[in-house]
Amino acid sequence: MHRPVSFDEMIDWQGRIRGPWVPVMTAVREIGPEELERRTAAMNRQMGLAAPFGTAPRHAFDPLPIPLTSSDFAVLEAGLRQRATLLNTALADLYGPQTLLRDGSLPPALVLGDPHFLRSLHTQAPLALPRLSLYAADLLRGPDGRFRLLRDHTGVIPGLGHVLSLRRAAAGTVPELFRSGGLRSLRPAREMLVDHLQRKAEGGLVAVLSAGAGAASDTQSLEDDALLARALGILLIEPSDLATRNGALHMKTLSGLLHVSTLIRCISGIDIDPLEQGGRPGSGIPGAFGAIRAGVLAMLNAPGSALMESTALRPYIENLFPTMLGEAPLLPLTAEGDTACASKAPFACGENFTAAPFCFRLFAWHDGETWQVLPGGLGLPLTPPDADTPALGIKDVWVLETEEPRLIAGAPPAEPPEHVKFLAAAHLPSRLADNLFWLGRSVERLEAACRLLMLALPRLESGTSLPRDIAERALIARCLAQARLLPSDIAGGSVSGRLLRQTLTRRRPVAGLLKEVGRLVNASSERLSPSMLATVRFALHQAAEALPNEETALPTMLSFAATFAGIAAENMSRDGGWLFLEMGRRLERGETLAETLAILLDAPVERLEPGMALSIELADSVLSYDLRHAGILAPGPVLTMLLADTSNPRSLAFQCTALRACLERLGADDDAESARLLLQDVVNLAGTATGLRAPLATIAAKLRQLSDHVHRHFFTLLPEAHTLEDEEVLEAAL
Amino acid sequence: MIYRLHHVTTYDYAEPVVIGTHFMHLLPRERPGQFVREAQLDISPTPDNRRDEVDHVGNHSTTVALAGVHKQFVVALSATVEVEQPAPPPPEETLRWEAIAARAINDPDVAEYCLPSPLAAPEAEIADYAAVSFLPGRNILSALLELNMRIWMEMAYRPGVTNNCTTAMHVLKIRAGVCQDYAHLMIACLRALGLPGRYVSGYLCTSPPPGQVKRRGADQSHAWVACWLGPDVGWVDFDPTNNLLVRDEHVTLAWGRDFQDVSPLRGIILGGGRHSLRVNVDLDPVLT
Repeated sequence: MHRPVSFDEMIDWQGRIRGPWVPVMTAVREIGPEELERRTAAMNRQMGLAAPFGTAPRHAFDPLPIPLTSSDFAVLEAGLRQRATLLNTALADLYGPQTLLRDGSLPPALVLGDPHFLRSLHTQAPLALPRLSLYAADLLRGPDGRFRLLRDHTGVIPGLGHVLSLRRAAAGTVPELFRSGGLRSLRPAREMLVDHLQRKAEGGLVAVLSAGAGAASDTQSLEDDALLARALGILLIEPSDLATRNGALHMKTLSGLLHVSTLIRCISGIDIDPLEQGGRPGSGIPGAFGAIRAGVLAMLNAPGSALMESTALRPYIENLFPTMLGEAPLLPLTAEGDTACASKAPFACGENFTAAPFCFRLFAWHDGETWQVLPGGLGLPLTPPDADTPALGIKDVWVLETEEPRLIAGAPPAEPPEHVKFLAAAHLPSRLADNLFWLGRSVERLEAACRLLMLALPRLESGTSLPRDIAERALIARCLAQARLLPSDIAGGSVSGRLLRQTLTRRRPVAGLLKEVGRLVNASSERLSPSMLATVRFALHQAAEALPNEETALPTMLSFAATFAGIAAENMSRDGGWLFLEMGRRLERGETLAETLAILLDAPVERLEPGMALSIELADSVLSYDLRHAGILAPGPVLTMLLADTSNPRSLAFQCTALRACLERLGADDDAESARLLLQDVVNLAGTATGLRAPLATIAAKLRQLSDHVHRHFFTLLPEAHTLEDEEVLEAAL
Repeated sequence: MIYRLHHVTTYDYAEPVVIGTHFMHLLPRERPGQFVREAQLDISPTPDNRRDEVDHVGNHSTTVALAGVHKQFVVALSATVEVEQPAPPPPEETLRWEAIAARAINDPDVAEYCLPSPLAAPEAEIADYAAVSFLPGRNILSALLELNMRIWMEMAYRPGVTNNCTTAMHVLKIRAGVCQDYAHLMIACLRALGLPGRYVSGYLCTSPPPGQVKRRGADQSHAWVACWLGPDVGWVDFDPTNNLLVRDEHVTLAWGRDFQDVSPLRGIILGGGRHSLRVNVDLDPVLT
């Protein structure tokens, strides 16, 4: 059978490069194939940083755009507007008077039997926003150069985050492409969308509702959700961040419950409300449907809007254009086999290019009066990936200002930073604060363990039986047990250093600690800037590589901890998120220090020397001590340095002071006062040289208490939710 | 017949409940043959938010939010309802069941009751079970009355063997359950034939007519089935738990595709620990 030749986006029928592609290909030639491959990899890394879980398979991206002429875009724009208008009108009818079912336009069984038809949202009054407020269409260009509709997206809109982020990543890595200018910016559209949502929200919170990293959903959509939130400058939240109070939706934040009025829904509408739809109470948002019906919550799109994606309904929907709009459809549907001859564009494939068929995905939103079409989109390769060749990347679709792109000098002005005005510190979701708190703790725990091990391992190795060595070994064994690096039954007895060492090697405690850090970095990633995340993940990766041998890995671990601390100190603004990271670190360091000192300094004055030496070394204070006190160990100066010196970041006093400052900034006055009292205790303790064990243990206990208190104060522990159903009513005995 | 209806549900929690959200279908709806003179739903403790709605098929739903700590939750319905379901025409005057099936699937008000729902989905075994009564060309009412009686005879009324997630298929297997299970089985049978079957939730008169046995399912929430007999006759209700054609002993609360659409009382609570439940239903005729 004769198959028509696919339309070539770049080359015209005479074999010439089409006008819009000339500047693109000029830039490509200028960059050269090897360099372009490197740039492509760089761009993919940059896009990947938004992914919540670094290891998961991600989309590939291709920096070469697909330019669309303004006349091509005009055709698509009109087609999308028409289609979105029709689909929204149909949705409004099907979830309202259902005249389309009564007059026989649509078969009732196809609509009512579709799992996406949510009868709970069949209402009399319209919702706060149109049921369809965001729309995307996948389109092909056929051999005749005309566009055809492949599919509609009316529920969750996939790729919206990517389309709003891809160009920025490309501009950063392949700026040569943008030199010719003349392409329409997405920025005005993006800002109009945010403004529209904020205006409609009337002071309520606008957020992106994502399944969240804990859910077993695919990471590609999580990445898209995260990018969308970032691009729009709004919060990314999960169902578990939300609570229904008094019939409206609220986000649990550090400053209490905040009214949420608008959600860009990135999770399926099915099973979103366990109160009305049944299902597990832990998943979804109980009461969401009631809030939507009452008009106090808007979702883009409304749950149930995916009904319009039904392939069974599509032919019937085509017939609605003349009756409902009085127009013929501007975008014909694809016929069977059309995907096989979709238009082709060059895709980067290693150092080469391959011409591959693709579809356009274009996006539209309703601005309250009319449908706006985003002047840009995604080019999605249609070639199914196979094992032998790398996946082709997703492309940015450009819309050109004019038919003839002008060459203008200089790179386009950089896009301004994202809207940050909506991200106030107090709006930090409780879940994130909790994660950051534990991240701070876990990094510090890793560091403390590594320091202790670095101190311990060489000493356990030496087999001498000098009294001082034996005393040191015993102290170290107790510290290792206290830090839960060794089981206490082994550490307690007179076990040989070699056995302790073997046990440590077998238990591999560092691997577990590092894994926990990795988990919490992922869980907190939305509050770490992209560059920060990149550095932290790179350091994590290096640490993990070094791990097979825990002993030689210790310096790498410490270097990771130092990197992390440096990044946190230099790159994070001192807002709510940093405060929790800092508190976690200070509490952990304070507790560990107090507990360790209680062991190391648990001796009469005349036998305090080995413990003091270890303490100073463990606190990384050997050099400062030597400089100040010429190396002579005496209880007074040692205790001052480790306990009371507020300028030593490894002293107890320093931790208490830092904690107090954090708590004051968070307005937790009672807890700040506890930290102040602790500081007094610590300073007083530095004056005594004997009987330190009990008071130090008390200080450790008070720090733990403070930690519990902070936890209760900020991360409101709510009891578990469960469903109450009246099954007993029906089962009641006669 | 005019009834006075009282239905009090009391949950006692072992531990305090911090937050409770409840979604109820407990106010009786209007329907042909039923007139609600007055109805009132009292909730204790007083909800912080209450929303009374009428859904797309005319059921009343009530959503309440209890934000204060509480250890007891009481829902009390009291209503005065007049019921008199018209008698259906003689069976031989009703349409052939195939003709009903053909019309139902294209009627927007009826079609969804022909389609599978989570708890009442037709399967091959259910179709076989139903086919015994629905011989080709038979008039629908005789077939329905026979199916109603067969389910009543072949099922064992046994509380505690099923719960509110039990499907019609499972009921057919174990041939036992309570009113809800009888209803789901009959509905699935109808759907297997392409006929519309509706789940009706409500109450049954506490004391039977003089000289008759006490009905199963009185003194508690009850459930039965409605089938559409074409545009002229409309919906006719059957109670397979008691082998009754519903006339004036039943008060309707709400209807849906199956129990899940019209669960009388569903809630999500935080805290509470174990709970105990007391239910008291009285449906007594008002002497006029």
